[in-house]
Amino acid sequence: MDRDRRKILRFIGKGSVLAAFLAQIGAAGRAFFPNVLYEPPSRFKIKRPEDYPDGYTFDPAKRLYVIKQADAFHVISAICTHLGCNVQWKDTEFDCPCHGSRFRPDGTVIGGPAPRALEWFATTVSPDGYLEVDSGTEVARDFRLIVGKGKA
Amino acid sequence: MGEKFRALWRKTVWAWSPESDRESSEAIVKNFWLHWFPAKVARASMDWNYSFWLGTASAALLLILTVTGVMLMFFYVPSTERAYGSIKDLEYAVSFGRLLRNQHRWAAELMVAVVYIHMARVFFTGAYRGPRAVNWVVGVVLFLSTLFLSFTGYLLPWDQLAFWAITVGTSIAKQAPVVGPTIQFILLGGHEIGQQTLLRFYVLHVFFLPVFVWILFGYHMWRVRKDGGLAAIERLRDTRTMVAKATPKTKSYSLFGITPGTSVQVMSSTGLEESDQVFSSPNMSRRIALVFLVVFNITLIAALMFNAPLEGLANPSVTPNPAKAPWYFVWLQELVASTTIRLSGFAVSGALLGGILLPGILLAVLTLWPWLDRSPRSAEGRWLAPERKRQNATFAVATILIIVLIMVGVYLRGPYWKIYWPSQPRPEMPRLY
Repeated sequence: MDRDRRKILRFIGKGSVLAAFLAQIGAAGRAFFPNVLYEPPSRFKIKRPEDYPDGYTFDPAKRLYVIKQADAFHVISAICTHLGCNVQWKDTEFDCPCHGSRFRPDGTVIGGPAPRALEWFATTVSPDGYLEVDSGTEVARDFRLIVGKGKA
Repeated sequence: MGEKFRALWRKTVWAWSPESDRESSEAIVKNFWLHWFPAKVARASMDWNYSFWLGTASAALLLILTVTGVMLMFFYVPSTERAYGSIKDLEYAVSFGRLLRNQHRWAAELMVAVVYIHMARVFFTGAYRGPRAVNWVVGVVLFLSTLFLSFTGYLLPWDQLAFWAITVGTSIAKQAPVVGPTIQFILLGGHEIGQQTLLRFYVLHVFFLPVFVWILFGYHMWRVRKDGGLAAIERLRDTRTMVAKATPKTKSYSLFGITPGTSVQVMSSTGLEESDQVFSSPNMSRRIALVFLVVFNITLIAALMFNAPLEGLANPSVTPNPAKAPWYFVWLQELVASTTIRLSGFAVSGALLGGILLPGILLAVLTLWPWLDRSPRSAEGRWLAPERKRQNATFAVATILIIVLIMVGVYLRGPYWKIYWPSQPRPEMPRLY
């Protein structure tokens, strides 16, 4: 009886020290998953609709293309779906300089290693008249934001 | 006075230039730097044209990289705002700073090559069987660590080359099944390459990985001794009548031999005839010093002749065209660029297939090779033994394929990753930054 009690106490004693040690390792590991990211928000304003010429305009800061066709706008991500390089608009298609992926004007894949089409981002006009992009929300390839001419 | 200096000098160098057998063996016991060597080693292990001393050369490079690396740490600031500037300062404002950086850079690239050639040597001499299988695996881990050290160091200059190589590299990690995005997140310390990424790579590069490699290197050396040196006994087995000593003698390292069993064994050179052995000091110590000096001078001459590359400041909005990984990863980039498979609208990313699965399988085969190998043990310790024709051919073909992929990636790939033969003119790409 006495023996058993000692055994149990010893087990609890050693076990709690070991558990504390393992918990501390876990805590140290958890520290490597940041809770606060100093990254730009996924929803942001770009320029006013009237500032964009017709056709494809690259926004280097946000790594996306703003496409204006008459008064219809849509926004395509410039980040290659393969390994994250910036694709470049070449008049009739997007080309990726890193591994040679090619995309149609609507972002779908022509060839190369890219597994998926370029992303289309939800776009609205903010109350103060800027285009507002939500890079966290993908939209279908028939998405168009119509900006009335009178508004500009 | 002169007498005193002579005595001091004598005291300093006696271990390195012993004048009698007694002094030779005493050197091992009494000198801190020599105590990890055995008193005597097999003469056959000293051969230049068996091992080419490639392991020693790798260790010399590790030492050079550690010393030059620590010196660079005095000048480098791991911040996205100041990293690039501190490299520029090293090149233009610090006396001999450029030389220091050049030597660190070329030693690093040389180390990747030398460690691989060392591994090839061990393979082609079949010296990874039996107890040496463990050290083969340790060697594979050391090779991977060398690559990872190089990769983490690649980001630190914070130039275009660095930024995009790490963009591509960490995107490959993201393609791993299930855990990929998490691995990328904790490597980057976020979703994109930024200050957190730079700091993480810096700490990995200057502390975690070097300490890991040095400890593992120590274990690697320890195993070399325990496993019986450079297969010297196996090599002499054919030329000597060692009938009585078919199984090499083992020596217990237990305290005073009290411990029963053969827990820590040494396949020691005591299995050799007296005439097959030489004293470690000076026979081995001098050769090690010579190898170090030669390697040091090669890196120094390279540093004097060629400058380490440094492109423009890292710019996330402009991808250089073409953007290439460091040469030892270009073969992976080739695989990544050409292995996407499409089946009726469903695509398997080239990054997953070429960047993760294929290298993963290669690595698994490489690691487990000692256990997959069914060649006769009698082929051990001989260069390109005919009994191992198939094994050696496999290794050679894989190596040649990788070299061809590297050549294609480095020399033939032009803008948009298209193939341009040397005779073809390459389009002038506008530099957008």
